[in-house]
Amino acid sequence: MFDTLFKGAATAAALALVTALPARAVDLQFYFPVAVGGGAANTIESLTDAYMKDHPDVKIDPIYAGSYQDTITKVITAARGGNPPQIAVALSVDMFTLLDDDLILPFDDYVKTDADKAWLDGFYPAFMENSQVDGKTWGIPFQRSTPVLYWNKAAFKAAGLDPNTPPATWQDMAAMGRKLTKTDANGNVTQWGVRIPTSGFPYWLFQGLVAENGGKLANAEGTETYFDSPEVIEALHYLVDLSSKDKVMEPGIVDWGATPKAFFEGHTAMMWTTTGNLTNVRKNAPFDFGVAMLPKHKMRGAPTGGGNFYLFKGSSPEQLSAAVDFIKWITAPEQSAQWTMATGYVAPRPATWDTPTMKEYAQEFPPVLVARDQLQYATAELSTHENQRVTQILNDALAAAITGQKTPEDALKDAQQKADAVLSAYR
Amino acid sequence: MSRFDRYLWNAGAGLLALLWILPLLYAVWTAFHPAAYEADFTLTAPLTLENFGKAWQAAPFGRYFLNTFILVTGITAAQFVLCTLAAYGFARFRFPGRNILFSLVLLQLMVMPDILIVENYKIIRAFHLVDTLFAVALPYIASGFGVFLIRQTFMTVPRELDDAARIEGAGPLLTLWRVYVPLAKPTYLAYGLVSVSYHWNNFLWPLIVTNSVETRPVTVGLSVFATTDSGVEWSVINAATLMTSAPLLIAFLLFQRQFVQSFMRAGIK
Repeated sequence: MFDTLFKGAATAAALALVTALPARAVDLQFYFPVAVGGGAANTIESLTDAYMKDHPDVKIDPIYAGSYQDTITKVITAARGGNPPQIAVALSVDMFTLLDDDLILPFDDYVKTDADKAWLDGFYPAFMENSQVDGKTWGIPFQRSTPVLYWNKAAFKAAGLDPNTPPATWQDMAAMGRKLTKTDANGNVTQWGVRIPTSGFPYWLFQGLVAENGGKLANAEGTETYFDSPEVIEALHYLVDLSSKDKVMEPGIVDWGATPKAFFEGHTAMMWTTTGNLTNVRKNAPFDFGVAMLPKHKMRGAPTGGGNFYLFKGSSPEQLSAAVDFIKWITAPEQSAQWTMATGYVAPRPATWDTPTMKEYAQEFPPVLVARDQLQYATAELSTHENQRVTQILNDALAAAITGQKTPEDALKDAQQKADAVLSAYR
Repeated sequence: MSRFDRYLWNAGAGLLALLWILPLLYAVWTAFHPAAYEADFTLTAPLTLENFGKAWQAAPFGRYFLNTFILVTGITAAQFVLCTLAAYGFARFRFPGRNILFSLVLLQLMVMPDILIVENYKIIRAFHLVDTLFAVALPYIASGFGVFLIRQTFMTVPRELDDAARIEGAGPLLTLWRVYVPLAKPTYLAYGLVSVSYHWNNFLWPLIVTNSVETRPVTVGLSVFATTDSGVEWSVINAATLMTSAPLLIAFLLFQRQFVQSFMRAGIK
């Protein structure tokens, strides 16, 4: 009963709207998360305002939806409830989840002209790995990051190391770490050598170690994991040994959120964290610091991370083409440069780095280039079907090995079995 | 109880209280000191209100507070009216299907509200109420818990009082208003407290159904600061946390005695 009543009311309202507005008016809802501090939400709002100024026939409603986790919850609930946004930014690794729920559309249908194709081909391949599957593009890289190593030059100097040479290999990092670890008269450590945070989402930085060791956590189709392969086990051994054998890292689970702070206060001489922290470190580190690529073992390697634009089902063709047009605009070099400078995210297209604005910024602050240069070695972040469950399995295994409840072999073998049980349905 | 026993009990209670209050003390410490003293507990550290200023600037907390205030008073008032009427019906009137209806009401206690989020969202959307304060409140107004609690209290009211009121010429509604409601005051106070603190702290549903500053309650507003990607600014987060929980804390401290008593009388544990 209510249904018919409200359908009637809705039709009336829609009619009123159609007659009240100019013919081509399009409304877009745009959900976005913010995962870095500062004014990132304001930057997005000023960018959408700028777009609407140039395109008076399009009205975009940017809705700040909290953290990534909050945003994906909100997006999925709204979409299942029949009210999807047209555009949303969500983690690139949520692609399979959104696909399994049949909520998103590929961008390929809107990429017709040669200029469009050039735009789509203009992203760094490392970022597209998490955005394409089965030959279709489901996500457009936007707020993307990669982990890098930050080091405290003053601490290096004090330990008798060259302040301008970061560790290049795993062995280097452990050896330098031993020199950098300082204890007081009571045997308490006052400064650790290195800090690789393992709380919350340990798989991300761990994936860097795996890639450096020539291994892989999952296949590109998201149906198979390789948690118990020798490369992965060896990488976990290295991570565990940093605390237990080399004694250069605080034992136990190391908190992610407190890591920059520990670095600023001299509790650790090196840290691994996202390049999204660059602006934060630049503002708050009371000493001279350096930024380097993650140290290599068999090869260089690092995961990518962060969020993509997605396009949602259930909207009119006019809305969708307006949405794609907006995404093209906001990922164009000038806008993208603004976004990168405001946040520290890696600009996802080489063209952005060629703009005068970006060149000037890089000249003034060269560490921004490290993350970009690392991209050629970067691999897709772990993403599978039922991604949240599978990454949780791996996270639990890593935590068990780090806290010493299980050996790395046992922990990863168990994890592989559990992941197989979840993923067998998708093979 | 020997003297020694009493000391032991007091020490134990003190220890538990200390454990319970530590996070709060830490929040107070960080909120009133500059960020440099987050992990450095020097008693002579300079005091500052700057963190509160920063937190207040970072989000429109004034508006969020107003939203939350309207929300919790609205929900609690509506719950009182609906639950009182329903509870009265179940407690004092015989009608066909009463027991089945009442067990349906009780069934609501077994269902986690989070499970219904998508269905609730569909209904709210059909009503065109997405992004309104009313939408945040609507799913919670007909509270099974409230009906149950108030009904149990009404059942304990002696029939004689009811009869006496009727002899004096009072109709059912007047009897409810003059006899039952005054006698159930402790229950209302206890239930009101539970309801207010629940809805003050509720996060998931308001997050999903609200899109703008004009409708968001403080909890959703507070999540602005919960951005761990670039490291946590504990001093500012804790200043914001204190601000958002202060009204509840102050209310509890003021009415502490009444709250505890009414909890004991109403039997909510």
